[in-house]
Amino acid sequence: MATIRIPTPLRPYTSGNEQVTVDGQTVNDALHNLIEQHPDLEQHLFNDGKLRSFVNVFLGEEDVRYLNGIDTAIKDDSKLMIIPSIAGGSGADTNRKVDHSALRTNQAFIIGLLLIAFIANLWALVAFVALVMIIGTIWPNAGLFKQVYLRILKPAGILKPDVIVDNPEPHLFAQGLGGLFTLGSTVALLVGLPILGWTLSWIVIVLAALNLFLGFCAGCFVYYQLHRLGVPGFSSGPIVREARQE
Amino acid sequence: MKVVLSDTHFDQIKTHLEDAYPNEGAGFLLGRSSENLVEIEFILPMANRREAEAQHNRYSIEPKDYANAEFEAARRGLDLVGVFHSHPDHPARPSQFDVDHAWPNFTYFITSVEKGKVKVTHAWRLREDRTAFDEDILEVAQPNSVANTNRED
Repeated sequence: MATIRIPTPLRPYTSGNEQVTVDGQTVNDALHNLIEQHPDLEQHLFNDGKLRSFVNVFLGEEDVRYLNGIDTAIKDDSKLMIIPSIAGGSGADTNRKVDHSALRTNQAFIIGLLLIAFIANLWALVAFVALVMIIGTIWPNAGLFKQVYLRILKPAGILKPDVIVDNPEPHLFAQGLGGLFTLGSTVALLVGLPILGWTLSWIVIVLAALNLFLGFCAGCFVYYQLHRLGVPGFSSGPIVREARQE
Repeated sequence: MKVVLSDTHFDQIKTHLEDAYPNEGAGFLLGRSSENLVEIEFILPMANRREAEAQHNRYSIEPKDYANAEFEAARRGLDLVGVFHSHPDHPARPSQFDVDHAWPNFTYFITSVEKGKVKVTHAWRLREDRTAFDEDILEVAQPNSVANTNRED
């Protein structure tokens, strides 16, 4: 007969047994046979007849979700394991917090790379910065410079987080605007208009530097003006910051 | 239920959660439990496996990490007795999400971390009917009053 390994928090319902022998042809049969033997397990494994999302059943090394789900066939000598996913969290202020260290890293990269591009006359580097900015605006998770911060600079302790209750949208809008200018710069350089091209790049450099060194986000200012005028899509108003109390 | 741990272990929890700030940090509590008492004897910090964008208010420990933690507990002659996690800039009380995803018979430490500094920790336990958490009594003992901290078996 197949066996099911029981995780520690559920063992009080199996008289302390780590392993229970079960009958059945499928994972579903086995789980229901387990519940027949130990009915108190049911509410912790199932919700409205469905396996709870944080309950994982493994057949050997494989999560049965990647096999045939609870209909996965089992044999007499199959070894099943119930393995918890552990999850939780405050859920507080979803998306209403911005790590300004990540923004500043982004700005520093933009300024540095565009300056190098200008000095070395590299249109391709301008194109690269434009691409990173535009991708980072459309998919914030995929922002390359932000990822450098999240995966390298912050874990290594080189930069400390500076999380502020803030709207992420104006910052994304500012980056998108900068991305379009940088894209325009790339196109101008490619079609042989270097003065226009480098002017556009320098506008991005100056505005990013204004933000990095003086904390003034010109794109955010534009965003909030559009919000004030009631332009659709600019729904986030300025946040009045207040201290949190427990 | 009373939960006891040494201040050395408590410091290990605090360090992990302050390092994780502004994101949520999490880990396992290893020890022994009897009918009325949980003694914590080893702290196992874990990686928060939620996507980067969600880590500021969610944590997740994946099945493979869980399985390794259970193996590690057995290797030390201990059991998994609970989970700790932080609420950055938020009270040390369970959210509905915490209740919905909780396992029974574990003590859940929730620590509020404000502006990068640990403020307060409360211990919680899922009710048998899964509707809410009840608070455990958390006792942090001074060094040497909890036997053999960090013992290697």
